[in-house]
Amino acid sequence: MSVASRTWLRSGVRSASLRAAWHYLPIAIVLLVWQLVVEFDLVDRAFLPSFGETLSALWEMTRNGEIGFNLLVSIYRAFAGLAIGSVIGVAIGLAMATSRRADEFFGPLVATTYSLPKSSLVPLFILWFGIGDVTSILSVVLACLLPVIVSTYHGVQSVPPVIVWSARAMGTPHRLILWRILLPSSLLSILTGVRIALGFCFVLTISVEMIAAKTGIGKLIFLYGENGAYAYMFGGLLAIVVVAYAADRTLLAAMNYLLRWDDSIHAAHVGG
Amino acid sequence: MVERADTPYGPIALAGAGLRYCYPLLLVVVAWELVARGGLVRQLFLPTVTAVLQQFWILLVEGEIVDPLLVSLYRAFAGLMLAVVFGVFIGLLMARSKWAKWALDPLVSFAFPAPKIAFVPIFILWFGIDHLSKILLVAFTCVFPMIVATYHGAVAVSRTVIWSAEAMGTPDGKMLYRIIFPATKPHIFSGVRVTVPVALIIAFTAEMIAGGGGVGAALMFAQRFFQTPTVFVYILIMLATGLILDRVMLRLRHWLIPWHDESA
Repeated sequence: MSVASRTWLRSGVRSASLRAAWHYLPIAIVLLVWQLVVEFDLVDRAFLPSFGETLSALWEMTRNGEIGFNLLVSIYRAFAGLAIGSVIGVAIGLAMATSRRADEFFGPLVATTYSLPKSSLVPLFILWFGIGDVTSILSVVLACLLPVIVSTYHGVQSVPPVIVWSARAMGTPHRLILWRILLPSSLLSILTGVRIALGFCFVLTISVEMIAAKTGIGKLIFLYGENGAYAYMFGGLLAIVVVAYAADRTLLAAMNYLLRWDDSIHAAHVGG
Repeated sequence: MVERADTPYGPIALAGAGLRYCYPLLLVVVAWELVARGGLVRQLFLPTVTAVLQQFWILLVEGEIVDPLLVSLYRAFAGLMLAVVFGVFIGLLMARSKWAKWALDPLVSFAFPAPKIAFVPIFILWFGIDHLSKILLVAFTCVFPMIVATYHGAVAVSRTVIWSAEAMGTPDGKMLYRIIFPATKPHIFSGVRVTVPVALIIAFTAEMIAGGGGVGAALMFAQRFFQTPTVFVYILIMLATGLILDRVMLRLRHWLIPWHDESA
């Protein structure tokens, strides 16, 4: 990292953009191959629309507002669930790591429900809350909760006791130890859990929309698939894949910024 | 979640510890039964625990638990196998070859965060609604975590070990098979352990969306006819499957890589 990055810094912006182009070239090649394979009729057009057709379908859906509306609905459900799930998850994880009683209560519940596919609860939620935002957001909350609990728990547990003792010796009150010591030192671990939860929030939102919903990008993809409008189906899919990628990269950048003081972020493989 | 230092001895102490561990679960079950019996909600929305147990027995006798479960497990594991084989291969390739890394790294980092479940309609279009589309969707989802786990493991193999092997004239193929692969095995195994629940989740969810047999499809079918006890039975089956498989994976780790004692 060190020598190479210094060389790049010196050689300036032009080579940086060249380097980015070189880095993303394989994606361009794949897209080109996709286009050519369809163009030369190597695959049945009924099964695979070309990249160009997909793009123009996506453009049409963007212009008539179909993509924008459904994407916003899905993003709202995913992020609302992620935010609620993360906050509750950090609270429970923190409680478990600092209190034995909380650990004994939540520990078995977390261990038991961790591997349950949260989408299996969707039929129940539909029965209880009907089809719509509540069902979606609740499923996302449950799915995001567990990875955040586990990573917060492990993060807080691995805070060196010496730091906590020093703070206590200097007369830091309990509440401040929480805010100033435990949470900052476990931030990397917490955010790693949030990053896992970020992946889950899109999966759950789309699953719920495909199982039962009236709106959302998952519903849109599913409808176009059922009606055989495959270019539009691929267009919708492309949109959500790009959104998920952008969200992941944004969180990663935020992590690097928030944790710029933390040496372990360079050791941890967060580049992905 | 934590292994306590004061491990209990003797049957009574052990039973006591088990009870103490399970008390939150028992509490949930008791609360559920009380709410359902107390008439606070209609049976349609929340059946009693006893009704669910009865329904479990009926379904078990009729073979409506074992058969769908076998279908789902077959799909999950066939997909997982494919993902492990391809993931390990691609991961090792990326770790050993600069060109493979260049060509595949942006694709993997782009595809990794994508919600693969959105591909269900495409996989139905290409591979039908039976086993194949589900197996391939599971494989497509699981292959990326397997690639990443293998890659990070293979990159972390100690330089000195590789240099020693090279100094002794180990050819490339043998290097991969005798040095890199065994040293990467713990990482690969951790990857598999993380992906097993993912494989199950994708198999179940794909069945819920697309039908075509399996526990997920049975669950949706029961919901459509408002057979709520059956819905609960299938949810609990999914829960138990995940739990048992995780235990099995832990055992397998001790058996397959006994030298690598990582308590997790």
